[in-house]
Amino acid sequence: MSAAAVATSIFGVFMVATVALGLFAVRGRGGQGGLTEWSVGGRSLGAVFIWVLMAGESYTSFSYLGAAGWGYNFGAPVLYVVAYMSCGYAVGYVVGPMLWAYAREHGLVGITDMIAHRYGKPWLGAVVAVLATVFLLPYIQLQITGMGVVVSTISYGSISLNWAYFLAFAVTTGFVVVSGLRGSAWVSVLKDVLVIATLAFLAIYVPLHYFDGYGHFFDRIVAEKRDWLTLPGSGGSAYGTAWFATTSLLNALTVVIFPTTVAGYLGARNADALRRNAIWLPAYNVLLFVPMLLGMAALFVVPGLTGADSNLALFKLVTDSLPAWAVGVIGVAAALSSIVPMAVFMLVIGTMWGRSVLSLVPRLHSQSRQKAASQTVVVIAGTLALIMTYTAPNTLVRLSLISYEGMAQLLPMLLLGLVWRRLSLVGAASGLVVGVGIVCALVFTENDPVFGVNAGIVALAANLAVALAVTWARPADADPRPDTEVLASDPDPEPAEVTSGTSGTASA
Amino acid sequence: MIRRRPHLLWLLVPFVLYIGALPFVNRVEPVVFGLPFFFAWMLAATVLTPVAAYLTWRGDQRMRAGR
Repeated sequence: MSAAAVATSIFGVFMVATVALGLFAVRGRGGQGGLTEWSVGGRSLGAVFIWVLMAGESYTSFSYLGAAGWGYNFGAPVLYVVAYMSCGYAVGYVVGPMLWAYAREHGLVGITDMIAHRYGKPWLGAVVAVLATVFLLPYIQLQITGMGVVVSTISYGSISLNWAYFLAFAVTTGFVVVSGLRGSAWVSVLKDVLVIATLAFLAIYVPLHYFDGYGHFFDRIVAEKRDWLTLPGSGGSAYGTAWFATTSLLNALTVVIFPTTVAGYLGARNADALRRNAIWLPAYNVLLFVPMLLGMAALFVVPGLTGADSNLALFKLVTDSLPAWAVGVIGVAAALSSIVPMAVFMLVIGTMWGRSVLSLVPRLHSQSRQKAASQTVVVIAGTLALIMTYTAPNTLVRLSLISYEGMAQLLPMLLLGLVWRRLSLVGAASGLVVGVGIVCALVFTENDPVFGVNAGIVALAANLAVALAVTWARPADADPRPDTEVLASDPDPEPAEVTSGTSGTASA
Repeated sequence: MIRRRPHLLWLLVPFVLYIGALPFVNRVEPVVFGLPFFFAWMLAATVLTPVAAYLTWRGDQRMRAGR
């Protein structure tokens, strides 16, 4: 059997197993529970499941391709990924349980739902859902592209890129429509086993194979590639200390309200599962050092990769040094690293639309119809991302630049709004418009980083200033509901205690 | 909230390690077990973050037990 056939067969077997696992996960639960079961696993996932699911979301095909590519191109700046994820988990220790309790108390399934509830305006939820979808679609497209590149590479080119894209779309869309969040958590288990095993193997094998061990590898890097080892990294990149600090800070705050993270939070059985997760999830970040270092190892083995090709730094090493079956297994790990996050992204888009947009249509009010409508949206969103992968790849790459920084602009409206009653609808909305406007302006004029600082944090500062100014300049919103109905609080670590001390929440 | 749960301050540890310390740790030497200093520092921070989160959690547990 040729190398391509071996690697492709292994890949095919695992893809079938993935879909089967998704079906198995929801066996006996199909049809019951409606939107809540599908979108947040009936709020019944335990600590371990939430761990693998959230670790799965954060460890995407970017980790295999982009992290190695950044390591190859720039070096040290890529460590911002580890920095913001670790800091983000720390923020999540407080914010996760808070959002979880808020959603459970009011029967909500996502951030758009929360915003609609907080401000008492369903249309605001719909507007935010549309905005969030625009910011999420590029991620789906990036995963489709990432998985396509992986599939094409491990089949040694026998599956063309265009077919590989379609395969990525078909497997993921089919999978998520039938299985929902619970199935994604199950596949995350399979994926984590493969990811940990393959990265641990590569971490040992590659330095031994090419450099006779880590000692020589690091010696060579320190001697020959010093530029790569400190900020701002190689080739006079724009990613200096100020950029590293502001990006880590902004992303750490944004990641806790990112719709996919929130989907993980809301799936938890109780608040303590989330707190314990905040302890163990950062440990997973140690694994991220592997692709980063391997990307730098590729500098010596396959020098001269430029542009998008640098994303293949890690896979060039793999296909260059390993037999076909091993290439196949590593390809499966990378492909599952696309499928799981992509599934959760699609699920979140479906849920947001089902709950916040389509529910405004009276005909779609019942739970089962909401679920069916959400699943339809998933297929449409996936198709849209696939079409754009073929027809307008550059547009989406541009959009993906503003995704994270754009999503950050929801911070005042959502998080500040949930702890501070006075923040008015008009204030929060004005801030959001200004923030998103500034992000788009700076990114599209290629001024990100601006003055060495992350453009999103500049926009967020303006966003917050406008939100506060408009709020104070106008009379308070006339909303008769009591604070306890509108605001969120971190559920007390003591489950039995009645939350009497709500006075502390305003300053949280 | 901080007054009632002062152990939440442990959660600032990763911010100090990853962001606050940047100006002092952005260097190649000294090399730690062969690892360039900046990478060694970031790896240490990654290992210490779970410890900080654990201390926070333990504080919450003690608060629960104490009342």
